[in-house]
Amino acid sequence: MTLNVYYFLSILFVIGCVGFSVKPSPIYGGLSLIVSGALGCVIILGYGGSFLGLMVFLVFLGGMMVVFGYTTAMSMEQYPESWVSNVAVWSVMLFSLFMEGLLSYVWLNYDYIEVIVQFNNMGEWVIYDGEGGVGYLSEGPTGVGAIYSYNYWLMFVAGWSLFAGILITMQIIRGN
Amino acid sequence: MSAIYMNMTIAFMASLTGMMMYRSHMMSSLLCLEGMMLSMFVMASLITLNSHYTLSYTIPLVLLVFSACEAAMGLALLVLVSNTYGSDYVQNLNLLRC
Repeated sequence: MTLNVYYFLSILFVIGCVGFSVKPSPIYGGLSLIVSGALGCVIILGYGGSFLGLMVFLVFLGGMMVVFGYTTAMSMEQYPESWVSNVAVWSVMLFSLFMEGLLSYVWLNYDYIEVIVQFNNMGEWVIYDGEGGVGYLSEGPTGVGAIYSYNYWLMFVAGWSLFAGILITMQIIRGN
Repeated sequence: MSAIYMNMTIAFMASLTGMMMYRSHMMSSLLCLEGMMLSMFVMASLITLNSHYTLSYTIPLVLLVFSACEAAMGLALLVLVSNTYGSDYVQNLNLLRC
């Protein structure tokens, strides 16, 4: 049995994703999403993507989750429903945890699962850093900076559509 | 492929299933939408990091940025519903019911 620590973290990630998918009150769902986001960042950091992990923390958790947090505070109820207060919620949560545990048990014993795609190894713990590529620079910021050189059309389209999206959001929020 | 992609796919499927089934709040479905986006981001980042294909680092980043815009739009709709009905319960969205 080969144990890859990132596989264990991804199991916790799945548990966190199940934790807000069973839909407790949104404040607990936001907490579970923050836990999942932090775990996803740690997984990305473990494979060497420091820039992308920072993006998760800054943009996703620090930008979007803060907005979700105070919007949830606006639609708050007096007795928020947690994971153990409703039979539907905790039974689905337990069932999902059991299924994930069963899947991990099958993985760790047989090391091979084929559903439609063939998953056949645990993955490497140390990633081979090939020669070539960008040399001494870090791959993450170099690749992201390529949005201005190789992917400039993507930059243009994304910028224009986000600008249109902001105008649409402002028109939605205007109401009347 | 390795095992961690299977877990990311399972996380995506769980969030997708959670988004499709309403309980009482509309906010919970928006959170599941963000969970779908997070699992896609982690999966795209891991594939790019493992294959050292430098140019596709832009893909998870642009995905993140578009998801931020989509979350803003969803929250704008939620605020509109909450201003009209006082709360974001989905049982309030019953104008098309006969």
